[in-house]
Amino acid sequence: MARLQQGDRDACRALLDDIGPAVMQFLRKRIANREELEDVYQEVFMALYEARRSYEPGRPLEPWLFAIARNIAADHTRHYWSRARWEELSADPPEIADSTAPEAPPNLEQALTGLPPAQREAFTMLKLDGMSLEGAAARAGVSVAAMKVRAHRAYKALRELIGREK
Amino acid sequence: MTNGRPLSHVEHHRAIVDRIVSDLRPVRPRWPVGARLGAWLLLDLVVAAWVVTHTHVAFVTKLRWPSYALELAIFGGAAMLAALLALRSAVPGRDPRRIEVGLLVILAVGGSLLLASTPLRSDYLLSNFVRTGLPCAYMTCLLAAGPWLGLAWAVRRAAPMHGAISGALVGAGALLFSFALMRIHCPVDEPLHLIAWHLMPVLIVIAASAFFGGRWLRFRPTAIP
Repeated sequence: MARLQQGDRDACRALLDDIGPAVMQFLRKRIANREELEDVYQEVFMALYEARRSYEPGRPLEPWLFAIARNIAADHTRHYWSRARWEELSADPPEIADSTAPEAPPNLEQALTGLPPAQREAFTMLKLDGMSLEGAAARAGVSVAAMKVRAHRAYKALRELIGREK
Repeated sequence: MTNGRPLSHVEHHRAIVDRIVSDLRPVRPRWPVGARLGAWLLLDLVVAAWVVTHTHVAFVTKLRWPSYALELAIFGGAAMLAALLALRSAVPGRDPRRIEVGLLVILAVGGSLLLASTPLRSDYLLSNFVRTGLPCAYMTCLLAAGPWLGLAWAVRRAAPMHGAISGALVGAGALLFSFALMRIHCPVDEPLHLIAWHLMPVLIVIAASAFFGGRWLRFRPTAIP
C-alpha cells in the first residue's frame, strides 16, 4: 500500500488483484443482486483509490480496507431500502389480502435479514464463512471481545426469530 | 457490456484495475494522527496565549483552588481526547471505541458536576444575568472558531466514515477547549451563569457540529463518470 501511495503501478495492480477476492466475498454477504454487486465492487475500488492518502503506512491494511468497503456497502443498502420503501409506498395496495398463501418454513436467510447489520455480519463471518474470531474481529474493525458479544447476541436473536416463525 | 454481452466479474475487475492504474499518481500520506494532534495543540496554544494575556482575572491565584484547577485540567484533557478521537475517526478502521467515548463523556460530566459544587446565588436580576451572560456565550463560540476550523479541516482532508460522529468530536474538541479558556477569561464563578452561558452554548454548538459533520464531513468518493 505504501508503494501504491508512491505511485508504483505494478504494486498497485498486484495489491488490487490481491484484495479483489476478499472484497468480493465481503460484499456478497451484503448485496444479493449481481449487477448491483458489481457496481458496488467498482465503487469500493474507486473509494480505496481516492482514500489512499488516509492510509497510514505501517498499520494493518485489513481494518482500513474493510472499513471503506463497509461504508460503501452500507450507503448502497441505505439507498436500496429507501428506494424499495418508496416503490412500496407508491405501488397500488392489493385489494384483497391473500389469506390462503401457505406459511413459509423457517428460513435462516430470512431470519438473518431480521438481525441488525453488525450481528448479521458477525454470524455470517463466524458460522457461514468459518472465520476465526480474531479474523472476523479484524475484518469488522472491532475487538475480539466485541465480536464475541455480537455473535452471542446474533445467536440469541436468531433463536428467537426462528422460534417465532415456527 | 462487450458486444451486447455483460462483462464477467474477471473482465470487470480487470477494467477497474486498468483504469485505476492508468490514473495512478503519487500522493503523500496524511500526517500521522499524533502529528496532526500536535499541530492542533499548537494552534490552541496560540489562542490560549491570547486569552491569558488579555484577561483581567487573577486566574493564577484562582489556580490554588483545587476544584478550579481540577476543572481546568478536566476540560483541557477532555478537549484533547475529543480532538484525538476526531482525528482518528477520519482514518478508516480507526473509529473511536466505546470505552474511549465513554471516558470522554465521564470527563465532561465530571467537570460539569464540579461546576455545580459552588453554592448557587439567588439574588440575581434577570437583566443582569442576561447582560453578563450574552458576551460569555459569544466569546465561548468565538474562541472555539479557530480550533474548530483547524480540526474540521484536518478531519475533512482524511476520510471520515461516520460524518456525524466526526463532526460531534470536532465540536467537542473545540468547544471543550474554549470552555476551559472561558473559565480563565470570565470573572464569574457562579454555577447558574456557567451552566446557562458557558455550558449550554458548548452543547448547542456540539450538536450543530454533529449535524454539519453528517452533511459535509463524511467521506464520499466522487461519482464515476
